[in-house]
Amino acid sequence: MALPRRRFFYRLGQGLGSVALPWLINTTSSPAATAADGPPTAAHLLPRAKNVIYLFMVGGPSQLDMFDYKPVLAKYAGEPLPESLRKYSNFAQIKEREPKIFPSPWSFSRFGDSGRYVSELMPHFGKIVDEVAIIRTVKTKETVHPFAEMLFNTGYREYGKPSMGAWVTYGLGTESKDFPAYIVMQSGSRLRAKGANYSNGFLPPSYQGVPLRDGSEPILNLQNPAGVSSEHQRDVVQAVAELNNLRSGQLGDTAIEARTRAYELAFRMQSSAPELMDLRGESPATLASYGVDPSRPSFSRNCLIARRLVEKGVRFVQLFHGDWDHHGDIASALPNSCRDVDQACAALVIDLKQRGLLDDTLVIFAGEFGRTSVAQQQVSGSIGRDHHIEAFSIWLAGGGVRSGYTFGATDELGVYATENSVDVHDLHATILYALGLDHEHLTYRFQGRDFRLTDVYGNVRQELFV
Amino acid sequence: MQRFLFRLATIAIGLLFAQPPAVAASSSDDPWWSFQQPLRPAKPKVSGVDWPRNPIDRFVLARLEQAGFQPAPPADHVTLIRRASFDLTGLPPSLSRVDALLADRSPDAYERLIDELLASPHFGERWGRHWLDVARYADSTGGEMDLARPVWHYRDWVIDAFNSNLPFDKFIVWQVAGDLLPDATKEQQIATGFYRCGVFDPLIGNGANEIARLESLVDRVNTTGTAFLGLTLACAQCHDHKYDPISTEEYYQLFAFFNDTDDVHLGLPTKADFERQKANRELIKVLQNELEEYKTKSAGKVRRWELNLSQAEHDGLPKEVQKALEVGVEIRSPENAAVVAVAFFAQDTGHQTRREAIRRLESEAPKSEPAPVMAQSAVQRATHVYDSGDFHSAGEVVAPDFPEALGLDFPNPEGQPLNRLDLAHWLVDPQNPLTARVIVNRVWQHYFGRGLVPTENDFGQRGTLPTHPELLDWIAVEFVESGWDWKALHRLILTSATYQQSSRPRAELSDIDPHNTMLARQARLRLEAEIIRDVSLAAAGLLNRKLGGPTVFPYQPSGVLDSRATKVEWIESEGADRYRRGMYTHQWRLTPHPFYRTFDAPEALTSCTRRYRSNTPLQALTLLNDPSFVEAAVALADRVLSEQHEDDKRLELVFRLGLTRTPSPVETQRLSELLRVRRAEFRQHPQRATKLLQAWKSSPAMPEQAQELAAWTATCRAVMNLDEFITRE
Repeated sequence: MALPRRRFFYRLGQGLGSVALPWLINTTSSPAATAADGPPTAAHLLPRAKNVIYLFMVGGPSQLDMFDYKPVLAKYAGEPLPESLRKYSNFAQIKEREPKIFPSPWSFSRFGDSGRYVSELMPHFGKIVDEVAIIRTVKTKETVHPFAEMLFNTGYREYGKPSMGAWVTYGLGTESKDFPAYIVMQSGSRLRAKGANYSNGFLPPSYQGVPLRDGSEPILNLQNPAGVSSEHQRDVVQAVAELNNLRSGQLGDTAIEARTRAYELAFRMQSSAPELMDLRGESPATLASYGVDPSRPSFSRNCLIARRLVEKGVRFVQLFHGDWDHHGDIASALPNSCRDVDQACAALVIDLKQRGLLDDTLVIFAGEFGRTSVAQQQVSGSIGRDHHIEAFSIWLAGGGVRSGYTFGATDELGVYATENSVDVHDLHATILYALGLDHEHLTYRFQGRDFRLTDVYGNVRQELFV
Repeated sequence: MQRFLFRLATIAIGLLFAQPPAVAASSSDDPWWSFQQPLRPAKPKVSGVDWPRNPIDRFVLARLEQAGFQPAPPADHVTLIRRASFDLTGLPPSLSRVDALLADRSPDAYERLIDELLASPHFGERWGRHWLDVARYADSTGGEMDLARPVWHYRDWVIDAFNSNLPFDKFIVWQVAGDLLPDATKEQQIATGFYRCGVFDPLIGNGANEIARLESLVDRVNTTGTAFLGLTLACAQCHDHKYDPISTEEYYQLFAFFNDTDDVHLGLPTKADFERQKANRELIKVLQNELEEYKTKSAGKVRRWELNLSQAEHDGLPKEVQKALEVGVEIRSPENAAVVAVAFFAQDTGHQTRREAIRRLESEAPKSEPAPVMAQSAVQRATHVYDSGDFHSAGEVVAPDFPEALGLDFPNPEGQPLNRLDLAHWLVDPQNPLTARVIVNRVWQHYFGRGLVPTENDFGQRGTLPTHPELLDWIAVEFVESGWDWKALHRLILTSATYQQSSRPRAELSDIDPHNTMLARQARLRLEAEIIRDVSLAAAGLLNRKLGGPTVFPYQPSGVLDSRATKVEWIESEGADRYRRGMYTHQWRLTPHPFYRTFDAPEALTSCTRRYRSNTPLQALTLLNDPSFVEAAVALADRVLSEQHEDDKRLELVFRLGLTRTPSPVETQRLSELLRVRRAEFRQHPQRATKLLQAWKSSPAMPEQAQELAAWTATCRAVMNLDEFITRE
């Protein structure tokens, strides 16, 4: 008797069509009882962007030294905040009763047709300033890192909630046949809330961010065991597939077929993931523009890999880079941090544009909060800035976002928003909107409640779009 | 009083008609079904009189017959023993036990098997781990710092409690308020570790310890709601519950039960330990004095040694000593004299023997790791209602009390304020409408993949209605009336015909009942993360079946613990500790072992009442390539090669050790082909065999043997990657 042989490996070369599931396979036991319905996997609105590259700056970059030019600070250098702002005391670490105003030690000049001010620490950003929309007035509620991270990445200040990437892949599925829909890379970062920032939360596990690791094995267990040739591995996987199919034929259980498909994708990933990380195919000009040393893990390399992932149809790529938590010695630490990211961010936007990918790809640059306009004086004598949650700057590019546009403004001391405050939920609603998802309709029932990325808040800021 | 009369009336009516409470409230004035006390319904009449083995089956069959269907045929004995062994112990059955069952023609063969499995110490591990999911158990605090928190004493208590069949009401009472019981025993105090398992983040609230404490109480109230009541109390922390009749005030009344509690550590060494420790200390003191005396008396010996040093011995001494010896004894400085003395004692057996004796005693001192527990606080803290859950805006003061909607008259003795012990007793009061139902439903869920109330974490008005309300209530009442007999509850379910059905999907029902809500068959369920590890080790013959104790550190890929705020090292366990059951692997909450997350082990951030059973390529990569699984495959191959001598017999053994059943001829043929081709490969490339076997402790010396072992390893890997290997059918 012959095995009912399915020509398993013949199919490996074929595309899998338009299956819109994050792993191409469904869970063997979807939480049907808690989910109101299956995943929407379709946009509610006209989508502007299809993919997201989210550059998350861990620790809270100093907007006043990078994007939000406040010349007036120089006038009040060393003085306490004026009477009208004395009540402001939402500090994380500053214990001083009257901390002193600390103007940016760096000079700003105008860039691009939009003529916006950019700090000398971000010379490359000057090159893309006409491609991006800067929001100067993002507001958050948490002054402590782990909670601020989670609020920014999941919409809730506590553990156990799905991240934005999980919501987006839940909402839109994937178009990649070789990769998970949601991929995470980290460089230099010290993420305080760790995996909670890219967790699936209560969504099914197939929506979790899959971290790519540095080194030769970007995904755990990607390499064959020592001594197992690729032909050997193929033989084992094929035997598994055939015996599974035999069982599946006897029992008529589709879960067994899903298991076999997972093995197919795993086997493909064993070659596609190393190919992804192999940057030899990139031109020297491209490598130089990002400032990538292909052999060394870095934020720049991750930016280039992010582009390659988007090319392969990966829905949501999130980069975490840190540490931007400059409570002290900002004078020497911040220029280093800026140097680590400035060139690659600019190169990424330009590269995406040249390849015609920028229209479909929303690039987000943000941290969990900004930093104060007053100095945090360290015992050692060095000076830094404390966490600031009332108004700080982020930028967006591509994905239908209005380029060269500035949204919101802060007071002359950079403390509060004077117009168009955008809280974290507004930002989330707006990002979902760019992807064609209505934040009020992208829901998942858990413990009797229909949860959203935006909780019960969020206003789409349509002004940000063309 | 009025409420009491009302209840009396309801009970009377209930008794009169012997009907279960209406499932959907017929009018909006009726309390929600799950807020009404369950009454034991009459067993329904069925036409199929041969099928039912116990009352459970009557309810199930009645529903099936109503829909015009029959139950599935029973599973064969091989499937049954594998199913029951996984469900009750999380381990595959031994082959001899399988053979014994197959040979046993007595009518109670299966029942005796169940009794045996219930008596196994691994029962406590299996069901203990289920409970630890609910207890959000992990071995560190979580939060940014993720500090070590050795709470495994509590884990061991849970295992013991299930093994000794502690009545479940006591199991609950001890966890909620064991410390408040009169003359609380060590075990009763350790049980309160349940509330010490949650995330604790000292950095929360900008370093204000009070905020961190209040946050941990929120976790305790929410966990109480999930674990015992199946209610989403958390919703009421910030505003009155939108769907269930729980007000914010009532939330903080529950909160108040925990507010007068302190987090303390219980030192655990027993009295005997202390006595031995004390004796050791005294002995060490005596020996140390003796050693000092010996050293003082040895001045002459040092001199003789120095004078009798040969040139070679002298040159072999450290430079520093040689220099000290250059100065004559009479004019030698005390420092140099000390250097010489140290050099002498380093080679003096009399000194070494004495040192060694002291060292041995010191290392014998019991290493006590105190257990985190709760204790009643000396200070009384006022509990406020916090507006919108914001701890900075304290509202009115509330006292401990129970939610009104559960309609449970609970005696408030002489106007004394209620305390945690009252809460514990209230939870297990026979009139409490929720606790028994919630527990019974979760047990059911583990046996059928789905609860009778499918939303096992929400018995409130947004939850799904029970598929078999009478059955749920019948079991819940039976459970309470049995004296919360934990093992009897399991026996009841496992000996039902419903449980013993085949899990094969039924084509005729796939459209009508895709989720098998009618229980027209059993379920095929992927095994949990820990159990997947356990079955691999068990098949390979590597499993160390030791129960309990401190956590262990089996192989973990490098890099997992990088970038933590608190640096910790993963020092791999040695010897048999590398092969302990999965549930003993150390879990750093913030940076868990990737294997367990890959297979859906909970993050332990909140109470988990149901795990996902996902299916991802990362799982495939793990089973194919993870060094632990490769090692197990080599071990299984090694075992099979030593236990059998013909290919077919060996293949059969691989199959039986991995899947319990014997292979079909087609399966044998396919695996033989794999074996044949791999043999040829390894013969041609012997170095590949050598490399593969590096995963194993002892590679055969003869190249032919190594090649054979490598080829069998390939075969074992194939079997260990089959869907069936990680599935309970």
